[in-house]
Amino acid sequence: MTDPDDIPEAERDEALAAEHALRLLDGAEAEAAARRAATEPAFAARVAAWEARLAPLAGDLAPVEPDAATRRALLRRLFPEAARPSRWGGTLTALLGAAGGALAAAVLVLALLPDAAVPPGGGLHTAEIVAAEGDFRAVAVVDADRAEIVLTRLEGAAPPGRILQVWAHGPDEPARSVGLWPEGESVRLPLPVEIAAVRGTLTLGVSEEPPGGSPTGSPSGRVFGTVDLAGFGRAL
Amino acid sequence: MSEGEGAKTGLQDPRAEREALEALIARAGMGDRDAFAALYDATSAKLLAVCLRVLERRQAAEDAMQDAYVKIWRNADRYRVTGHSPMTWLITIARNTAIDRLRARRDHDDMDGAGDRDLRLATSGPTPEQSALAASEARRVRDCLDELRDDRRAAVVGAYLEGRTYKDLAGEAGVPLNTMRTWLRRGLIALKACVQR
Repeated sequence: MTDPDDIPEAERDEALAAEHALRLLDGAEAEAAARRAATEPAFAARVAAWEARLAPLAGDLAPVEPDAATRRALLRRLFPEAARPSRWGGTLTALLGAAGGALAAAVLVLALLPDAAVPPGGGLHTAEIVAAEGDFRAVAVVDADRAEIVLTRLEGAAPPGRILQVWAHGPDEPARSVGLWPEGESVRLPLPVEIAAVRGTLTLGVSEEPPGGSPTGSPSGRVFGTVDLAGFGRAL
Repeated sequence: MSEGEGAKTGLQDPRAEREALEALIARAGMGDRDAFAALYDATSAKLLAVCLRVLERRQAAEDAMQDAYVKIWRNADRYRVTGHSPMTWLITIARNTAIDRLRARRDHDDMDGAGDRDLRLATSGPTPEQSALAASEARRVRDCLDELRDDRRAAVVGAYLEGRTYKDLAGEAGVPLNTMRTWLRRGLIALKACVQR
C-alpha cells in the first residue's frame, strides 16, 4: 500500500494515527505505526484521541446479553483456583503408575488445563478418538465444570490445505461445531453453551475440513472418528 | 464515548455512572475479583454487541469478548494512563480484540472472508437504534458523520464497526485502493475538524 500524495503533509500524522486506531494498516506500515505509538508520546496521544473519537460509533449498537456460560468460563479462566478444592493427592501418582499409551497422554493433556488439581470424575472426562483405519488418533479431556475441551493429536493430521474441526452432540442431536483446530498438536476450546448443557452421553468427533471450517455447519469432510462419553454433566 | 451508554450500573446520571465504572476498574486493577465481576455484569452486553458487529457469529463474538475481558483484567491497573473514559477504554479493547480475531480468520480463509464481506454489505449503513441514542457525544460524532459524503461515511463506519480493510472497502466501492485510502483519510480529517468545532 503506497501513501497517497494528495493529503497535506501536516495531516499525514493525523491520518496515520487514525488508520492505526482503525487497524487499517498492514505489513510494514502497521509495524511502523505500532512502534511509533509505543515510543512517541505525541503520536500515541493522537491514536488515543482517535480511539475516543471513534468509540461513540459503537454507541449505536443495541446491547446483547452474553450467555451465562461465557461469564462462568471467563471467571474460571482467570481465577481457576477459586472454585476448586485440591484433592489429587496420591491419585495422580496412582494414575501415572497405571498409565500407559493413551492414558499417559490424557494425563499430559490434563497438565495443560489451568489448575489440573481436579479429582477424577469431578466433571472431567477423558476419551480417545481413533480412526478405524488406524491413521488418526487423538485424546480429549473435557472439563464439564469449566466448559472446556483440550485435545491432543497422537497420530495423523489433516491433509495438506485442510484443517481439523471438533464436533460434539448430545443424545439424538445433530453434531454441532465446537471449534476449529487449524494447527498444532493440541488445541483448547471452550464448549458451546449447548454442548456444555448436554446431560447423559456426549459424543465427540473430529473431521477434516477446508480452512475456516465446514461450510455447511455439519461435518463435510472425512470424520476420523467419534467417541461417546457416558454420564456427562453429572456429578460423580 | 458518552460514558454509560449500554452499561448497566443502574445509575441514570452519566457522570455518576462513569465514576462507578472507574471505581470498578480501579478496584479490579488492585486484584479485586468481585469488582471485576461487577464490571463484567455492567458492561458485557455492550462489549458483546461490539464483538458481534465485527464477527457476526455468536460463538466467535462470545469468545472474542471473553478474550477482551481477560485483557481488561490484566490491564486494569494501567487504565488511568490511557486517559480514556471507561466505556471508550472497554469498547476499544473489545473492538480491537474482535478485529484481530476477524483478521486471523480471514488470513487462513479467503473463501470464508468473501462470504463475510457479502453479509456485511447488508448490515452497513445507519441502524434502527441510532434514533434511540441520547448521549450528546455520540450524537455529535454521528452528526459529523452525516456531514461526510455517503461513500466516505460508509468507509469510516465499515472500517470501525466491521473491521473492513482498505482492500475490502475499495472492492465494495469499485475504486482503486489508493483512491479509497484518500477518501477515508479525508473523511477522517473532516470528521475530526467537525467534532472539534
